[in-house]
Amino acid sequence: MNAHAGESRPAPARGPYDAVVVGAGHNGLICAAYLAKAGRKVLVVERRRQVGGATTTEEIHPGFKFSCCSYVVSLLRPWIIRDLDLPRYGYEVLPLEETFTPFEDGSYLLRDSDPERTKRAIARFSPRDAEVYKQFGQKMAELGRLVKPMIDGLAPDPLARNPFELLRLARFARHVRGQGEEWLIGNVKMMTMSAVDFLSEWFECEQLIAPMSVSGIIGTFLGVRSPGTAYVLLHHYMGEIDGSYRAWGLPKGGTGAIAEAIAAAARALGVEIRLGAPVERLLMKHGRATGVVLENGDEIAAKVVVSGVDPHRTFLRLVGEEHLEPEFAQQVKRFKMRGSSGKVNLALDALPELACLPGAGPQLRGDITIAPSIEYLERAYDDAKYGAFSRRPFMDIVIPSLTDPTVAPPGKHTMSIFVQYAPYKLKEGAADWPRQREAFGDAVIDTLAQYMPNLPGRILHRQVLTPWDLEQVYGLTEGNIFHGELSLEQLAFQRPVPGWSRYRTPIGHLWMCASGTHPGGGIMGAPGALCARTMLRARAV
Amino acid sequence: MTLDAIVIGAGQNGLAAAARLAAAGRKVAVLERRGAVGGLAGAVEIHPGYRVPGILHDEGRVSPRAAARLGLERHGLAWRDAPPVLLAEAGGPGILVPGAGTAGSRGHGDGGNGSAGTARNDRRDGGMAAAAAAGEIGARSRRDAAAWLRYRAFLAKLRPLLDSVMSSPPPPLSPASAGDLWELARRGGRLWRHGRRDTLELLRVAPMCVADYLDELFETPLLVAGLAAPAVIGTWAGPWSAGTNTNLLLAEAVPGHRLAGGPAALVAALERAARAAGAEIRTDAEVLRLHVENGRAAGVTLASGERLDAATVIATCDPKRAFLELIAPGTLPIRIEEEYRRIRARGTAAKVHLALSGPLELAARPGQAFEHIRIGGGHVDDLERAFDAVKYREVSPCPHLEIRVPSVADPGLAPAGHHVVSILASYAPHDVAGGWTEKRRADFLESVLATLERHAPDVRRLIVAQELLTPADLEARYALTGGQLHHGEPALDQLLVMRPAPSAARYATSVPGLYLGGSGSHGGGGVTFVPGLLAAAAALAR
Repeated sequence: MNAHAGESRPAPARGPYDAVVVGAGHNGLICAAYLAKAGRKVLVVERRRQVGGATTTEEIHPGFKFSCCSYVVSLLRPWIIRDLDLPRYGYEVLPLEETFTPFEDGSYLLRDSDPERTKRAIARFSPRDAEVYKQFGQKMAELGRLVKPMIDGLAPDPLARNPFELLRLARFARHVRGQGEEWLIGNVKMMTMSAVDFLSEWFECEQLIAPMSVSGIIGTFLGVRSPGTAYVLLHHYMGEIDGSYRAWGLPKGGTGAIAEAIAAAARALGVEIRLGAPVERLLMKHGRATGVVLENGDEIAAKVVVSGVDPHRTFLRLVGEEHLEPEFAQQVKRFKMRGSSGKVNLALDALPELACLPGAGPQLRGDITIAPSIEYLERAYDDAKYGAFSRRPFMDIVIPSLTDPTVAPPGKHTMSIFVQYAPYKLKEGAADWPRQREAFGDAVIDTLAQYMPNLPGRILHRQVLTPWDLEQVYGLTEGNIFHGELSLEQLAFQRPVPGWSRYRTPIGHLWMCASGTHPGGGIMGAPGALCARTMLRARAV
Repeated sequence: MTLDAIVIGAGQNGLAAAARLAAAGRKVAVLERRGAVGGLAGAVEIHPGYRVPGILHDEGRVSPRAAARLGLERHGLAWRDAPPVLLAEAGGPGILVPGAGTAGSRGHGDGGNGSAGTARNDRRDGGMAAAAAAGEIGARSRRDAAAWLRYRAFLAKLRPLLDSVMSSPPPPLSPASAGDLWELARRGGRLWRHGRRDTLELLRVAPMCVADYLDELFETPLLVAGLAAPAVIGTWAGPWSAGTNTNLLLAEAVPGHRLAGGPAALVAALERAARAAGAEIRTDAEVLRLHVENGRAAGVTLASGERLDAATVIATCDPKRAFLELIAPGTLPIRIEEEYRRIRARGTAAKVHLALSGPLELAARPGQAFEHIRIGGGHVDDLERAFDAVKYREVSPCPHLEIRVPSVADPGLAPAGHHVVSILASYAPHDVAGGWTEKRRADFLESVLATLERHAPDVRRLIVAQELLTPADLEARYALTGGQLHHGEPALDQLLVMRPAPSAARYATSVPGLYLGGSGSHGGGGVTFVPGLLAAAAALAR
């Protein structure tokens, strides 16, 4: 995987450009690719020396390659993979089949792709839950039918006035009515309940509810008992890898390989990508965007500017408050971007062992969830509410080198630990993170050592990424991995600002294409593709 | 004796339902388990000669429109201005916030149409907010004073919308008839007319957590904490829980009148209205069984063994009690029982009543008497911390106190010169780990008094009598499942068409002839008597 592919090619002829895309994250690249596919001349400028943004693979220790930020893929839309012919450019996903949850009393739960085995595993805790588990999965897939059209298209505008919109709404309403009342009720509950309450309507044993509920809080500043966390559960049942319904997968070569594949596809379509080219601000004329100014002073003119960075950065830094209507500026500031999670990446000289189930079996191959009880998760959340990182955090752990040996030297391993909660705003202030970084890393390792006693002795290198680091290194405001919380009031037609969910902005010729827009975060790609589609339909470029 | 309808429970909703049915010429009997009518809204004698007007001591959500439907003013209902709320603080004077609502907009009650009344509401709000800006809020922060004006203006705009939503049945979930479609269209139209900008703002703020919303508006922590409290008291949620802002809007955007004599006076008026219309009200008549025969409601059997038959039964007890206890288990399909089992009804507020030999005086404001006082830690996080305890089935060590001193406006509630204090203390979970032992009760009452004492140093010296009602006590005394004051937690997924359960959202249940008209149904949660009215209307429509 060549992190500097950008320079390795002869630079194509420069400008004048139809569009300049700020940020070579996966959404920026996808948007650029779709525009180029439609024959537009596109330049992507990226601050870092490699493409991908938070979809990145980096060699942080000799021979060890890490998906430093996002580490699994599930929702990258199949139609995007087809449109851009990504497999041809090296896109390959290795499915993660297992979810392993160790408990504090030494028991454990292993769920995998074999329904019967999983059923038996759950039955050890509750025969009743074992029975409903499969039904639940089917139910969720059904409910997913509401969300799917929503994430593959523009957000419906409930207050539409013009006939086309009303028609879309009517079609959506028919779609909803067609599914029947029970389905509708299910979705209402889905959108309004907490993950725990929703799951408790199905299951009785905490050993199942706790680890399932965490998928509702990943990347949010909410607890598993906070209303509005249930709907994220759906995403686990909508994940599609090579077309077939499956939860999560590991990109071969790390998530950076996805970005590389998209970049390669984009270049093949004629997109020019300039790395190490941080944008200082937008070029504006008569309140319209006319291009960008790089930090080195270069001015790049383009018919339209597409922002692949988060809403705060886009409007409060690149555009500048002075160019915004006061009310809009206030709405942007209100858009909540509270980072709540961090990453700890470990280079290991050998596999660690789980105390409750020794050996290198399936328990290590999938993802390992440290979510032993609802109370455990709530206490972790309470710490963060009052401005401290969780002393006993929720963790989602993957050992990618077991599935994809190319990321570590023979016999050695990489471990990716997603950690929540780590609030960006500490009591002592965000700037205190550098001082608390290692303490945070220690809390993670200490907690994990309860389950993997021999882990500390096998660590060759440790990378701790706090929300503050995510902001400094990857330009994620407040370290929010989704470019803005996925809370009810920040979704669909309200993302990022009520009435501005269609990738347009109040600034003429400035568009938005990243996770801060509908349908939101994760390696989904829909915002980038939908933005490009909308721009082309509107003949904006 | 043959009856047209039986109403279970003579609380505010039961009496309203009976009054409505009797007024329509139906032969109705109201059956009350306790020796007195009123339920949670009825007067409570805490000590000989000392009464508080209701376990639920806030009648601020009574809508003049609903009162007009039963002509309650003819039966002695009198409106009054809402008293100001004192947000107390340790080591400071606190902030006196003007009460929302005055008798000024009785327009609805006189049969005037909503908009006329609303216009007055708006003017009233304008004046009130201006006063506040000039007053104690402005003294703390000019910015907050301006924000207060915007806040009240936003609520005033919302009022007609929320008032009509809360005083009519929820929209049909899956429109079956042309009528349903027309109704949906009408409601959609109302949102439309409300204006895109305001509606977008409503959709944005409704699902938020109350702390985020108030933080956007105000910079004074005491103001944020004090204004947030009504959104979470009696819920299983803290100010940082998403969706709590909906509770705030519902609590604040109502007409906001108060009643002379408080909830007890409302109960008295409802009882007179019901009797005048010819309803029979029987106390000490506990219903043990609700009979479902051939799939229909058939009647009830009382503790005395007496059986009463009627084709229409309106249950105003909480929905879980009606479907899981009064109806013999196993009578209904599991699917239906499951629907009711899923209703979350976890009580989190305890009631403390004090009889005092003198006025409750705060050190910060000597010589002044307040009807309405809020005592919290001074920051919204203190309220959240108080809630955290509930998650672990513990009792809050520093409870939040929602205090009323009804004897200030109504001296008749206590002997001359004496006073009664009514306190809602949050949080105290119904299912506290280890149960409500004598020790835990004593400790909790002590923490309440200690908190009160920090602001009113003399209070202990004045105590003639005191009473603690934990959620467990409330459950036992008022047959209240989980001790949940609202018959079901106010939460986004337990509102509108989801309240109390999707199959009973429009008061008729999946059992023909059986209607749910208690606080657990739409329009309920607090003293509104709307569910009773609408359930009766639904029954009459058949």
